[in-house]
Amino acid sequence: MTTSDVGIEAGQAFAPREFGPLTMTDIVRYQGASGDLNPMHHDDEMARAAGYPASFSVGMLGAGYLAAYCTDLFGTRSVRRFRTRFRKVVYRGEVLTAHAVVREIRGSGDDARVALGLELLDSSGAVVVDGSADFLLDSMKSIGSEEVSE
Amino acid sequence: MAVMPIERGKIREYAAATGASRAEYLDDPFAPIPPTFLATVVFWDDLPRVFDLPETRAGCAAIGVVPDVRRLLSLEQEYVFHGEILHAGETVDTGLRLDSVDLKERRSGSMALVRFTVTFTDSAGELRAECHYTSAFLTSVGGSA
Repeated sequence: MTTSDVGIEAGQAFAPREFGPLTMTDIVRYQGASGDLNPMHHDDEMARAAGYPASFSVGMLGAGYLAAYCTDLFGTRSVRRFRTRFRKVVYRGEVLTAHAVVREIRGSGDDARVALGLELLDSSGAVVVDGSADFLLDSMKSIGSEEVSE
Repeated sequence: MAVMPIERGKIREYAAATGASRAEYLDDPFAPIPPTFLATVVFWDDLPRVFDLPETRAGCAAIGVVPDVRRLLSLEQEYVFHGEILHAGETVDTGLRLDSVDLKERRSGSMALVRFTVTFTDSAGELRAECHYTSAFLTSVGGSA
């Protein structure tokens, strides 16, 4: 199935969302919230000693931004699968942009799902986190056309 | 295995930290969890213990890798949800299992890919969520530390 009765179809993209510029406060707030207190994310001296120009962001913060982007679009109770891969280190000051595209629609009825491809890009256009997710198709019924871009 | 309460305040904090703006995350006493919220399981369960399991050590030994958490990279996480999304006020039991250990060769050297799963089971005994982790140990070359 490529087109659903709620007007979602394969290849369809959604309006992107920006996060940042990323600050040390954003990073330490995520570290406190998540419980990942790895000092490489907030200790510049330690990061430089390990060969990095500065401490760098947490991969799961980028994944969390993609998750927030998706739940803002599709609601909070319709996620069934959410996968992210870390591709590139991100430093403070970076502006990140979340993108989602419909890959396919699977199944039918109440359990029909929209399979999404996800990307978080930095300001140079490089992918810093990519992923895929399944959301219930039902959750897309409320999406207005103004949120959809080609 | 650990007992993990799903807490409203933690959900609110996590949602704010990731830029999630849905009102349910911030104002609902029975707030649903955000898609990556179960990363906070580390407050309740000691996940690195997976690298001390006999099967993990045996798997690493079989491919000539010494597991060293200082050389550990997190590559990928996949959350799978079953039925209703967990919400504030629920309590889950966690479980941890090793899935596989494989050697992956790259131009920059080889690494051991370790795949493991954390399970989240509710008080009725239903499996509600799983997180599949893929992590890598970079191998040391020529016995150097």
